[in-house]
Amino acid sequence: MKNFKDIEQLSAYLDGQLNLSDSARLESRISSDPELASNLNDIRGARGILRKLPARKAPRNFTLTRKMVGLRPPVPQSYSFFRFSSAFATILLVFTFAANSLAPRLSSPAPGFAIGMGGGGAPEATEAPAATEAAAEMLPAATEAPSLEMPLAATEPPAANADSFATEAPLAPESTMLKEAETESALQDQARVKQEPFVPVTWQLSLLVIILISALIAFIINQNAKKKWS
Amino acid sequence: MTGDYKAGKIESMDESSLIQTAQNGDLDSFNTLILHYQDAVFHTALRILGDEDSAEDAAQEAFISAFRSISSFRGGSFKAWLMRTVTNACYDELRRQKRRPTTPLEPETSDGEEMDSPKWLADPNMTPAEKSEADELEHAIQHCLNALPTDFRTVVVMADIQGMDYSEVAVAVHVPLGTIKSRLARARLRLRECLRSFEELLPSSFRLEGESNP
Repeated sequence: MKNFKDIEQLSAYLDGQLNLSDSARLESRISSDPELASNLNDIRGARGILRKLPARKAPRNFTLTRKMVGLRPPVPQSYSFFRFSSAFATILLVFTFAANSLAPRLSSPAPGFAIGMGGGGAPEATEAPAATEAAAEMLPAATEAPSLEMPLAATEPPAANADSFATEAPLAPESTMLKEAETESALQDQARVKQEPFVPVTWQLSLLVIILISALIAFIINQNAKKKWS
Repeated sequence: MTGDYKAGKIESMDESSLIQTAQNGDLDSFNTLILHYQDAVFHTALRILGDEDSAEDAAQEAFISAFRSISSFRGGSFKAWLMRTVTNACYDELRRQKRRPTTPLEPETSDGEEMDSPKWLADPNMTPAEKSEADELEHAIQHCLNALPTDFRTVVVMADIQGMDYSEVAVAVHVPLGTIKSRLARARLRLRECLRSFEELLPSSFRLEGESNP
């Protein structure tokens, strides 16, 4: 057995991979070295057997389908438009829901503000009836007293009292009523704000319809493209 | 789809234009190329893997992979480029086989016994003696090929069975030319030793007596 360098040279020589000078040098060695010639014959024999091996034909065709390689059918531009509009409308719809759920929280500073205002207002409202009650108690007393004991004198001082009360007593119920009305309307406004969503439901329904129609049209376009392609 | 491609169309094809259109995504052009190369691809995979089913899988995977990466083909020998894909698919298959139970290399009958003369080797034009001879030859060669390291086997299959030149094999296996020479010499040396042990079984026409010309 020759060294591996010689075997490599012989193998390359058989395949015509040596240049002319190397080939000539090896040929002269082969002619003078029987062992090298024997090695050449062995390698040539092994190569010959491999080359005589009958070629096997493919048992079936390996042609590819579009599905196998994951190709998608060419779709018209309208497909992209409807797909985009469907996606965009979906995003908008999500935003509307988010806005409706966040709107009452965002308007929560208003109740806080009302409390700040009402901090002065609410006690007033509670105190107001007491003032009216006191005025109401004092008024009959003032009217009754002059009629029993001192008609003239009683008529004057009470008149003065009446004047002083006349300016306060009739005003007290009116302002109370006004304040009550204001608080009531404020409460009604708050309730209305709570009841009415930030984005109307009709808008949301419209978006939902756009989503469904766009998605349906995109689906139909895609299916038609697939049918035409296959 | 398979039936749309005719042999005559393949023979008259302009390979470079088919490659170009395939690079633009035309699957029909690539399928024409497949029909031209599928025998060589399958045979290469079969000799590397030594099993027909695995070779089918590897060949199919190779073609799918080749179509997906055909844009990376920058000219040169398309066969060499394709063989590189096949080699990779075969290596993947061999790695898979290591992870799962092995299947018998010899075809079996329905009773689970090995076929003496497999029907997949049958050629209606062969005499029974010729069939037997071819059968023995193929078994012996495949046995010796399987005994080689995968890298050596791949090189010898491409050079000696597919008849590719060294530069094509170097492209296909992605190793330097010198490595191809070395691997091929070593593979032939080992094959020679292995086939010598089968010499008595080999038909007389395939004895290791060498060829008349280099």
